[in-house]
Amino acid sequence: MTDEEHMGWQITSEGTQRPGPLPRGLRRIPRGVDELATEHLVLNMGPQHPSTHGVLHVLVELDGEEVIAAEASLGYLHRGIEKLAESRRYHQVPTLLDRADYLSGLHTETAWALTVEKLAGIEVPRKASWLRSLLMELNRYASHLVWIGTFGLDAGAMAPFLYIMRDREMILDVLEAITGSRMMFNYVRPGGVVADIPAGIDAKIREWLSHASGWLDENDALLGGNEIFRLRMNGTGVIDRTTALAFGMTGGCLRASGVDYDLRRDVPYCAYPELEFEVPTGQRGDNWDRYVVRVGEMRQCLRLIRQLLDGMPEGEFSSKRSRALKVPAGESYAAVESPRGELGIHLVSDGGLTPYRMRLRSPAYFNLAVVDEALAGGLIADAIVTLGSLDIVLGEIDR
Amino acid sequence: MPATRPADVLHACGIPFEASTEVLGEVVRLDVSLIADALAALEESGFDFLVDLFATDTGERLEVTWHLRAFAQRSDLYLKALVDYDGSAPSVWETYPAALYPEREAAELLGMTFTGHPNPKRLLTTDGTEPLLRKSVLIRTAEEVRRPS
Repeated sequence: MTDEEHMGWQITSEGTQRPGPLPRGLRRIPRGVDELATEHLVLNMGPQHPSTHGVLHVLVELDGEEVIAAEASLGYLHRGIEKLAESRRYHQVPTLLDRADYLSGLHTETAWALTVEKLAGIEVPRKASWLRSLLMELNRYASHLVWIGTFGLDAGAMAPFLYIMRDREMILDVLEAITGSRMMFNYVRPGGVVADIPAGIDAKIREWLSHASGWLDENDALLGGNEIFRLRMNGTGVIDRTTALAFGMTGGCLRASGVDYDLRRDVPYCAYPELEFEVPTGQRGDNWDRYVVRVGEMRQCLRLIRQLLDGMPEGEFSSKRSRALKVPAGESYAAVESPRGELGIHLVSDGGLTPYRMRLRSPAYFNLAVVDEALAGGLIADAIVTLGSLDIVLGEIDR
Repeated sequence: MPATRPADVLHACGIPFEASTEVLGEVVRLDVSLIADALAALEESGFDFLVDLFATDTGERLEVTWHLRAFAQRSDLYLKALVDYDGSAPSVWETYPAALYPEREAAELLGMTFTGHPNPKRLLTTDGTEPLLRKSVLIRTAEEVRRPS
């Protein structure tokens, strides 16, 4: 690169003009950290996140306390799930997918089931759809709880993390009673689900529901009602609507930026067309909006779980199908609204016993790509909070 | 239906293509050299969101898929183009910044390049890792990796 070209790229140094209009949504050219000016300090954050999102390594370039550029370095949890799926039969793939997004395995499993069913033309009994929705909402609530806790940790609040574990344990007990596992469920299969809900679990969920709303208010008061927390959230890590769309962000992060889009309502699947719920949105796209949107989503979760329990239909929980499922040659894509956003699976089949190619469209992967845009210009202390607000799960990003 | 149909947009730009409706949805196949122009035109016409970008090893060549969405119309479109092994496709990050990560990923996992990418480093794997998602690369045990026979 010649000096003149270099000048054109050099948009972070003082006194340099911007090199003409940049593509939409971008404030800067994403060149990574290596080639940027060297008088700044390059700080390695990680490979370890201050809380428990997974193993992430972020390079930040600092000018004093201000972040000049940031780049995420991924791959610490890369297990080749997409490659491994090519040697697994269709009913074996969910075992791998549980380990992609380990905080909300049921969403990934359901996305896989929907994709296979779409291509193979498998009908799903109504009860199976309702069971899927019920478990997904329970799982979403558990995942959001972990997010609230770790977000508090990121901001320096220890207590909420301990309280959310109390609430989460009860959901995990319920999920364990239904699926047999606390986190690696392997419960949703193409054609339906593995087992019906056991007797007595309805009462257990209702008992949890009677506490959950109050507990959520408690957590919200501890965190959102804290003035220090609010001051740190307000106006930091702003991601505007254009940037969010340009980077392919989805889920709560996109809704916090003011885009009213939720797959559960806009591309309905499972039992959602029959349920009533609202989609909370924000306006500014700062950390506070992302907090408010997620807490709002949790309240909607409780509403949905109540409706799902009340309206749970009778009938079969799975359609009859052979274990050696053969899917006709072709391609299909289906997506669910996971706690992090649009979790889609793109399946390519050649008509054999195993998928030819499985592509996981991970929402956190796209949400994390915005890291340079979101962190640059802010303070290093806010960088941690902003990263936490994106609700990333590295298992799903690295796959 | 979208206000502007993708076929009309591509016709207006004089870009030759093959359109079909499959289980997947609306699929447009075209030559890889036309991808940058096609995506720029489609972005103008309302396909403002890149849902995903990935490549598949077809056994003979690599097939790159660009999954677009028109948010206002809630309609999806898939663009597909074939690329030779170790060949290249244009980077579309200027039209869709969302392509920055998946392009790096497709490049390392399928063994191809995206010309014009501003930060063409590896994303998920370390230097020297073979393109894992090629069909010619077999899954090996840790033992086989350590002591190749």
